[in-house]
Amino acid sequence: MTSLMPPTTVFPGLVWAMAALALVQASRRAALWRVGAAAPVAWLHGLARLPRRYLVDVHAIVARDAYASRMHAVVAGGLLAASVLTALAILPPLAQSRAYWLVVALAFAVTAAGAILVGARRYPEKQKRLSAGRFQILPVLLVAYAVGGTLTALLLALGSDGFVVPLALAAAGGLGLAFEVRHGPMRHAAAGALHLVAHPRPGRFEGRPDTALQPLDLDAPRLGAEMPADFTWNRLLSYDACVSCGRCEIACPAFAAGQPLNPKRLIQDLVAGLNPEEPLYAGNPYPGGRGAEGERGPLARLIGPDARIHPDTLWSCTTCRACVEECPMMIEHVDAVVSLRRYQTLERGALPEKAVGPVTELRQAGDPGGRPLAARTDFAAGLDLPLMAERGQADVLLWLGEGAYDLRYGRTLRALVRLLRQANVDFAVLGAEERDTGDLARRLGDEATFQALARENIGTLSKYRFGRIVTADPHALHALRNEYPAFGGHYTVVHHTALLMELIRAGRLSPGRLPDLSVTYHDPCYLARYNGETEAPRAVLDAIGLTRIEMARSGKRAMCCGGGGGAPVSDVPGERRIPDLRMAQAAETGAGIVAVACPSCTAMLEGVTDRKADIRDVAELLLQAVEAGR
Amino acid sequence: MNIAVLLSAGRHPVSGAAVLPRLEAQAIRIAAGLGEAYGLHAGPDAAAIADALGQGLGRIAHIALPEGVDPVPALAARLAAAAPDLVLAGRRGQGGDESGFVPYALAAALDRPLVPDVLAVARGDAAGTLRLDQSLGRGALRRVVVRGPVIATVHPDAPAPLAYAFGQARRGSIDPCGLIDPCGSSDSLGTAGADAAAAPAVPVEERPYRRRPKLVKGAPAGGSAAERLKAATGESGAAATGRLLVDPDPEEAAREILAYLRRIGVVAPPAPRPNP
Repeated sequence: MTSLMPPTTVFPGLVWAMAALALVQASRRAALWRVGAAAPVAWLHGLARLPRRYLVDVHAIVARDAYASRMHAVVAGGLLAASVLTALAILPPLAQSRAYWLVVALAFAVTAAGAILVGARRYPEKQKRLSAGRFQILPVLLVAYAVGGTLTALLLALGSDGFVVPLALAAAGGLGLAFEVRHGPMRHAAAGALHLVAHPRPGRFEGRPDTALQPLDLDAPRLGAEMPADFTWNRLLSYDACVSCGRCEIACPAFAAGQPLNPKRLIQDLVAGLNPEEPLYAGNPYPGGRGAEGERGPLARLIGPDARIHPDTLWSCTTCRACVEECPMMIEHVDAVVSLRRYQTLERGALPEKAVGPVTELRQAGDPGGRPLAARTDFAAGLDLPLMAERGQADVLLWLGEGAYDLRYGRTLRALVRLLRQANVDFAVLGAEERDTGDLARRLGDEATFQALARENIGTLSKYRFGRIVTADPHALHALRNEYPAFGGHYTVVHHTALLMELIRAGRLSPGRLPDLSVTYHDPCYLARYNGETEAPRAVLDAIGLTRIEMARSGKRAMCCGGGGGAPVSDVPGERRIPDLRMAQAAETGAGIVAVACPSCTAMLEGVTDRKADIRDVAELLLQAVEAGR
Repeated sequence: MNIAVLLSAGRHPVSGAAVLPRLEAQAIRIAAGLGEAYGLHAGPDAAAIADALGQGLGRIAHIALPEGVDPVPALAARLAAAAPDLVLAGRRGQGGDESGFVPYALAAALDRPLVPDVLAVARGDAAGTLRLDQSLGRGALRRVVVRGPVIATVHPDAPAPLAYAFGQARRGSIDPCGLIDPCGSSDSLGTAGADAAAAPAVPVEERPYRRRPKLVKGAPAGGSAAERLKAATGESGAAATGRLLVDPDPEEAAREILAYLRRIGVVAPPAPRPNP
């Protein structure tokens, strides 16, 4: 063979062949994305930002696992450098230069070192969260390509003979890698790069917490997603970017609780649903061990007891975004879940049995419990809450939320109201005019009810003049701040912890210190992950001199209490309960108090039996300190 | 099977919003499990019943009536023409322009049996029969098999309503069937009798709802607390007045049981013997 053609031509030719094969494989895959719905994509903007998105945003997540970050730097950097350098050797001056081939050999050697790092995660034993299957041959292909390439380049540098074996090795590995761009592990590189360009939430890369659910056009011919073809094409592309690293399944509270949800498996089911030829999934299953059934294909139904994804999987999600936060490929799992839920709810009325009541009451009475709206202020008996209807304007509109009906959370709200009085804040509540924000309905896929409630609330709010809205409910905060603007309601919305911190800093509240208490703070998903606010509650706790101990999972990576996304009303059984797991994590800190800042977290964590720690809202602790300071 | 579900313009018991009463939503679930069902509403406004489209009904016939007109004659004429095998209704209103009296008035007008407080309906084993599970309160059930068209009212213990599906509501249709302008001939509902419009409203007295003390049957007026307790728990009355037979012969026991069943009305009294 070498007598027919010089190795200085065959070797670069191999890289060009690899590129061609990869391109063919990628375009075969891309043909599948075209079944998806249209989506507006700012191509030029996305392309221009690609390097930054990859090197900054993706890197920040990958680097949470330092090994993975180093591994990628070595193997991907080496692979790219070696391949590009080799491809350039079609230029005769370079092909004749021995020094050049020495550089190529060095690049291949770096790749080989990276390939060994890749292999060490899978051999002799694979890390638990990684998928097996086709991923297991990735290190083998990489080693073959890198070692074959190193030897070939070395031989060329030394001017020796005997290219056949190393070249064959490099060809086997290299063409194998290129072939894997369609079905195998290398798909994440091609689809991932394109996904970063055409990301459905570009705001994520621009420092905004782009976490609001996107409004659904209620006049669309089909509402929500029933089959893969109902997703937009760039969502289908995003699912192909999944590299099955399993970081999401480690973060997922439902998976930890043994509920039948594994975000990795869910994304892989969406991938496999699109393409009947997809290789078998080889990672951890949905807890409960349900096998994949049902038809596959762009027009196959995705959800159903006899389809690929069981409805219980769908309703297990707490929409806490922990999977999204951890995903190095920036996949939006929660959006996928909500799209599927929207079809189930709006088109089929197939809500979980226990969720039907709350959603119906929301639609008919403006409150999930069907309670009288005027009773929302009952918690404040004797506190004399000023009503907006009487005042017409106030500096602060206090949005009470659903927590006001809860006896436990009523204590928190009383504390908050007393603090506001103490600090002479000019505030008022809507009273009977305040409807639920519709958060529950929206997470459960009932977009129609959410939009109706949003419009009614926006209509109510437009009657009054106020500076900003303050609420103790992060779910209401997220809806009012991030989701109402799409319907014409633009407000400054502040969480009560942020306001309290502000009042302390302005000297309007002068708390004493409670140094004898040790506390750990549980971040609500809808405040920390959805809105990036983790500092204010901690600052308040520090201002009153508490000994603050952080849990292993805190801040934007905190674990969910199990109270969001309609999970409590869906009530999908698992082996354990999410709040029990969270309280066990809190107990590891040894703190006597778990500080909370959300009615759902308060209710969920208080419901844990045999807990050793007290559950106290930040406002309650602050009031205690203020009273101690008097 | 041809099933009609009577719909009324209800009000939410707490918010007062115009909604489909829960019992009627439950009736729709029962009907949807049996076969093709349609809704029937007589009243001035169809907006309140549009919810029913999202809860399992594909089609609603709306008989437009002026405000304050008794809907019974119009409904009776329409049902007589459409001749459904089963008419389902709520057993009691929950506020608003609705009445628990309508099914009874309709049963009388159409001369059909009314089975109250139904929890479940299934086709009977024999053709043309229906098997209805009736609630007797406190969890007790009675299974009734009826032949021919029947009107049934739904008990609150029936399966909870189906979820409202916005997409289905969007696809469903409300066919306006005025009295002067009847539904098309393709419509199985037929035409309402024109004379129904002329029918005068039944004079009824309306009183605001007020909570009433629970009546205890056979409670002795002025008896001791123990006697009243006995009466409330059913230890006096029928149970206490029973006869105790020790080791009777089978003939006598059977006669006794039959007599008891006749007394409480489970078995019809003996038919009069034809005179020779």
